[in-house]
Amino acid sequence: MTLGSYSGKVVLVTGSRKGIGLALAKHFLDEGATVLGVSRQPCDIDHANYHHHLCDVRDAKQLHATFQQIAKKSALHILINNSAVLDSQHAFMLTATSAEAMVRTNLLGPFFVSREAAKIMKRTRWGRIINIGSMAAALEPAGDSVYAATKAGLVTMTNVLARELSPFGITCNTVGVTAIESDMLNQLPRPAIDAIIAGLPIPRYAEHDDIFNVVDFLSSERSAYITAQTIYLGGVHG
Amino acid sequence: MTIRPEQVETLIRDAIANLNEELPEGDRVDAKPSTVLFGIGAEIDSLSLVSLVVDIESALSDQYDLDIALADEEATARPVLPFSTVQALEEYILERANESK
Repeated sequence: MTLGSYSGKVVLVTGSRKGIGLALAKHFLDEGATVLGVSRQPCDIDHANYHHHLCDVRDAKQLHATFQQIAKKSALHILINNSAVLDSQHAFMLTATSAEAMVRTNLLGPFFVSREAAKIMKRTRWGRIINIGSMAAALEPAGDSVYAATKAGLVTMTNVLARELSPFGITCNTVGVTAIESDMLNQLPRPAIDAIIAGLPIPRYAEHDDIFNVVDFLSSERSAYITAQTIYLGGVHG
Repeated sequence: MTIRPEQVETLIRDAIANLNEELPEGDRVDAKPSTVLFGIGAEIDSLSLVSLVVDIESALSDQYDLDIALADEEATARPVLPFSTVQALEEYILERANESK
């Protein structure tokens, strides 16, 4: 058996139940990591090195209790803030409930998770916080007023955390993901997304390996001097 | 689990000792009760205070199984922040620890 590139590392992935989070959790497991998944519902991953925590990233108190339990059992090296919700609607049609849910899940959630994770990472003076952003933050498509704002806010939050956490050896970066086949994409009008993708410098949908490539780069030992950066896929630029 | 005043005192002293290891010689602080940690006359900067509080939270959890968030709404809502001095911090930890029993 060969050791994977993440052997000995503990990675926490929020929203590991499906989509990009599920793909990333499996990727880290394939590469030898211990993976801690977090989502509101159970996850189907059946792997000796996978441990699921039922937790709502919007609930700061619940997260604090969950991370206290994690801290007693293991270190934490890499955090992937992936949990997100999307409701793409014209401003006149977007409900207040949906708007608030996006702010709480896409912006406050990663903040709460990051600070709890950083407390554990601080112990080893090593950490990588990688936030899953979106092309919406840069492209500002109609229908995504609140979603795009939460993802733009995520970039700003990441960059501020990069300053606050660098004394503890923790880097914070964002991967700006383009459209990828997922449940989230299926909620959107495909012709509109096709038109956005057609306008990109590399006009195709993202694949999981495109995301793994950037996440692996930002997670590596050699990326200790890379923080407060947003790397967009497909040629999107902010 | 309960925690006694002398145990809290030791815990804070250890956390300050850890902090001092990271600080330049001229910036190191005493762990005496009157040492000002926050506000006018603070002997450590805000980053050091954050680091100290997080270390104490971790030690409370690891050594005494007390899962207390010291820097929460309850702390910041007080007219005088409980991190103002070493003594105030010690009293606050004891108070929160007793509440969580």
